[in-house]
Amino acid sequence: MGQERIEIDYDHVDVRRIMDQIKEKVAAEAGGKPLASGGEAAPVSEPDFTGGQGRMRQVLLKLTSPFRPLIKLLILPVDEEHRRTVLILDHTNRRLDRLIAEVERDRRLTREYTKLLHHLCHNLVVEMSKLKIEVETLKTKTRVMEKDFEFLGKREKALEKEAFK
Amino acid sequence: MKLAFVVQRYGLEINGGAELHCRWVAEHMKKHAEVEVLTTKAVDYITWKNHFARDEEVVNGITVRRFPVTRARNPERFGRIQDRLLRHDHKEADELRWLNEEGPRAPGLIQFLKDNENAYDYFIFFSYRYYHSYWGIKTVPRQSILVPTAERDPVVGLGIFRDLFRTPRAIIYNSIEERKMINDVSGNGPVPGDVVGVGTEIPGCYSGETFRRQHNISGPYVLYLGRIDENKGCHRLFDYFIRFKRESGSEVKLVLAGSTVMQIPSHPDILYLGFLGDGEKFDALDGAELLIMPSFYESLSMVTLESWALGKPVLANALCDVLKGQCQRSNGGLYYETYPEFRESLGVLLSSPRLRRALGEDGRRYFEANYTWDVIEKKYLALLGRLEKDKSS
Repeated sequence: MGQERIEIDYDHVDVRRIMDQIKEKVAAEAGGKPLASGGEAAPVSEPDFTGGQGRMRQVLLKLTSPFRPLIKLLILPVDEEHRRTVLILDHTNRRLDRLIAEVERDRRLTREYTKLLHHLCHNLVVEMSKLKIEVETLKTKTRVMEKDFEFLGKREKALEKEAFK
Repeated sequence: MKLAFVVQRYGLEINGGAELHCRWVAEHMKKHAEVEVLTTKAVDYITWKNHFARDEEVVNGITVRRFPVTRARNPERFGRIQDRLLRHDHKEADELRWLNEEGPRAPGLIQFLKDNENAYDYFIFFSYRYYHSYWGIKTVPRQSILVPTAERDPVVGLGIFRDLFRTPRAIIYNSIEERKMINDVSGNGPVPGDVVGVGTEIPGCYSGETFRRQHNISGPYVLYLGRIDENKGCHRLFDYFIRFKRESGSEVKLVLAGSTVMQIPSHPDILYLGFLGDGEKFDALDGAELLIMPSFYESLSMVTLESWALGKPVLANALCDVLKGQCQRSNGGLYYETYPEFRESLGVLLSSPRLRRALGEDGRRYFEANYTWDVIEKKYLALLGRLEKDKSS
């Protein structure tokens, strides 16, 4: 299948290196044809270098026509590399798009978490306020009970006095 | 030293997951300490219905105390509650209701822990997400050790578990990725712990030839072992494998072994053999070119370790960070995210016996250095020793 282009150093097999080559190969292939699976953007069309209708261009093309085979021969390796780079960049671009979408999703999640945190803080404040009111009520009750206790003490003493008269 | 292993289900009938992990560790720790198991009477993990009649029995030389489940789980209601919990704002009380619903609800087990706290030195809890671990650890926090067996699934982020991961005396993780995930969600860095995992028993002899003869399999095959389930990534595996066959014209077959909860596509080169016993499982591995692990969620994957123990390479789903991490650390397998990566990786593995051998050997070395029982027992003993030292100081 594509193993002819995957170089493996059998004396020092390195899974990461093999996977890098596989990923590079897949990226190069994916750049050359539309991906079958849905959800990914359509491939970007290759740049068109043949456009333009200017007269100067026509003249230049005519003048250079005898050297065309030589020029083609000279630029062929560069052109190949250029095309390959464009394809890899295109694939990378589409992967970046996907990653950006994921980051956006994470951002939404963070926003939800912030909302939850806000609710939590709000609930804490409400609960603390309720507790504070409760403490105040209990303090008042304690004061009333202290007074009652004092009164009962006085009453007890008065009754004792009456009883042992 | 007296240890109690606390787990949701226990028995020879249960042949996978955290329960098997617990049984194997308990049986090996028997050599070094007095060991008991505290569990429920359930076997079925969907409903937790009481299955065992006896309260106490001995399983492979270990006393097992079983406590009744007071309320069976209603899967539909549980599904609804979980769905609501994960999609909407909620309070801690909702999470506790979810935990109650998930079960296995065995208050007798928690009461036993409370009453017998001093009879044991440590309680080792397996599976963080169930009733027994949450309430058990809350009951005996200073003597508890948690083996979370956590996968990257959304419930790990629930507030009650953030608190739980900070409570035990120590945590025993299955993988580096699991430790990182739990540290990240709970901030439990200061809780002592170690990455240990689980060992595996390799039979003395196994034969791929016998397996091929028994099942009438000719030609190369790749093997999937485990529950055949969408949650394990099997639907994608079938899709990828059929496309691979169509495009490559390879003669390789996909052999599946395990219980099934989904429809297996009808294809002449996809062979389903049903559930295999332990011996036969190793025969199947021995005869395979490689093992495929398509699962998205794994906390360790015992079958991957078994494959490496036999010197067989693995092709794993890279979307599961544990599997990808294990392949990179061991240098024992390739991994894929998309179909083209699956096609290329499988292609390169099938076409090069030398690569398969080299990856298999690296996998075997990784297994021997980290996952033989000697290593696992030493790690458990080292952790217990550390806790004892802390206790005395």
